[in-house]
Amino acid sequence: MGVQDYLVKGDITSKQLERALRYAIERQGLLRALEIARQRQIEFKDQFLSHVSHELRTPLTCIYQYVTLLLDGLAGPLAPNQTDHLKSVLKSVNQLHAMIRDLLEATRADSGKLRVEPRCIVIGELVHQAVAMMQPTAAENHISLDALLDQTVPLVYADPDRALEVFINLIDNAIRFTPTDGKVIVRASMVETDPSAVYLSVSDNGCGIPQGSLAQVFERLFQDPNAVDGNRTGLGLGLYIAKEIVNLHGGRMWVASEPGCGSTFSFTLPLYSLAKLLLPAITHRGRLRDDIVLVRVELTPLSKALRGCWKEVCQRCLERLRQCIYVDKDLVLPPMEASGAGETFFVVASTDMTKVNIMMDRIRDHLVALPKLKASGVLRVTAEAIPAPPAHDPRILEQQVWGVADFVTELIQRGLWSDRQTTGKGESLNVN
Amino acid sequence: MLTESYNDGQPINRAKIMVVDDDPDLRQSLSLRLRANNFDTVNVCDGYSAIAMAQKEHPHLIILDLGLPAGDGFAVLKNLQQYPALLVIPVIVLTARDPECNEKRTLESGAVAFFQKPADNEELLGVIRACLQTGWGWGGKLSS
Repeated sequence: MGVQDYLVKGDITSKQLERALRYAIERQGLLRALEIARQRQIEFKDQFLSHVSHELRTPLTCIYQYVTLLLDGLAGPLAPNQTDHLKSVLKSVNQLHAMIRDLLEATRADSGKLRVEPRCIVIGELVHQAVAMMQPTAAENHISLDALLDQTVPLVYADPDRALEVFINLIDNAIRFTPTDGKVIVRASMVETDPSAVYLSVSDNGCGIPQGSLAQVFERLFQDPNAVDGNRTGLGLGLYIAKEIVNLHGGRMWVASEPGCGSTFSFTLPLYSLAKLLLPAITHRGRLRDDIVLVRVELTPLSKALRGCWKEVCQRCLERLRQCIYVDKDLVLPPMEASGAGETFFVVASTDMTKVNIMMDRIRDHLVALPKLKASGVLRVTAEAIPAPPAHDPRILEQQVWGVADFVTELIQRGLWSDRQTTGKGESLNVN
Repeated sequence: MLTESYNDGQPINRAKIMVVDDDPDLRQSLSLRLRANNFDTVNVCDGYSAIAMAQKEHPHLIILDLGLPAGDGFAVLKNLQQYPALLVIPVIVLTARDPECNEKRTLESGAVAFFQKPADNEELLGVIRACLQTGWGWGGKLSS
């Protein structure tokens, strides 16, 4: 809250001291009251927008339902011009839907409630996904949309859903401000000056942004005053939300543009650095811990699970898993991007192969206690020891941690998981 | 599979779905969509009637709104658990409420999926079919 007042040493009378104290208390009280009022205002805004959003969504759903019923011919055949009119209605419904969503997202960003759940992801796959999703819109506007990917980009540490949101937002923006026969290119590359991040960009050869507006494009509710009405289909919150999402990842976003030539929106996302995450867990008093074990927890759904339900089961398991470890010497690795129906979590534990059985039992007991997992999936827990460095390892600590990180990565990525590791009580705990 | 799960001989495309929503237009439009996709429908407008109707009609699946008169969606989810016969009915929540605050709670309360309104028709129908085919019921229990 800062300094309230100051008194000069050796020049203080009791009256002055009393007055200074009284003022300080009063000011402190005022500041606190202001802070409380500010918090209440934010909460009120949150509640208000949440309520408004709910009330808007209900009639919007009705319009959506009936328009799609008509368009699908479920209420009888339509004349071609009627179909066209209804498509226009549906387009507006989708725009309204997007606006309501943006309004809520922006409010969350304002109140610090926007959340990201970073995972270890292959950014190229995400770019391809975004391009595939936006390809129909680009084709409709006769704009070419391509991805140029540097294949050497390592794994990225980001929330896949949120990162996809950023790409979709930027591509959609680029398409809207690019004329027919224009080009939109999405790039992913590494830059020598910053080896800890991946550089991503969406560029177009559209109308560009006037120099005077460049500084404002990421501001809330900003709309280019020179843009034709057809291009202004949102509330002017998309870029603000995108930038907030990137900031939450520890990245940054910026724009370069030349009127008449096009714009390039660029942003960075952090690379996945296992060594950085491992360092506090597997080192103690400046040296590597004696024993390190990698525990693998595999969850496999019994049947083709429902999206929401299985995702929830996995999330709950991850939360439980985090309760099974000692936070100062074990680490639950950030989840890898799921490649199949199942989910696999890894724990780097500072313990030996004998004692790891206790941890594996604990994991099994905690996870099996989840009724939903028991009913819908199979659990398998296995462990593999990480070889200790030689007794007189000349490498500095950081290099030793890198060595462990490389070994763990090899184990996880290349599937070098032998069956010899599981012994005794803790071996392959299949639960159904 | 549904055809094995129900012994009344109903084929998979005539499964009965109960739509619980206080908005009559929404109930009607959703029912039209479901019937066009070969499902039978039963419509209910409040939380109390939802339980009564579920006991009477034994639907194969319930589509449930959260903001309801006479017992909201969470109360319906809780009450369904009191009856063994209703426990196995998969429930899909379809609500205008914010998923950030409600999705986790509804799934924890036993729903199999959460959709925010307006939900994409094909996505919703896909989950309905998956529910009926896998027999995924209450609390992850298999209904077969």
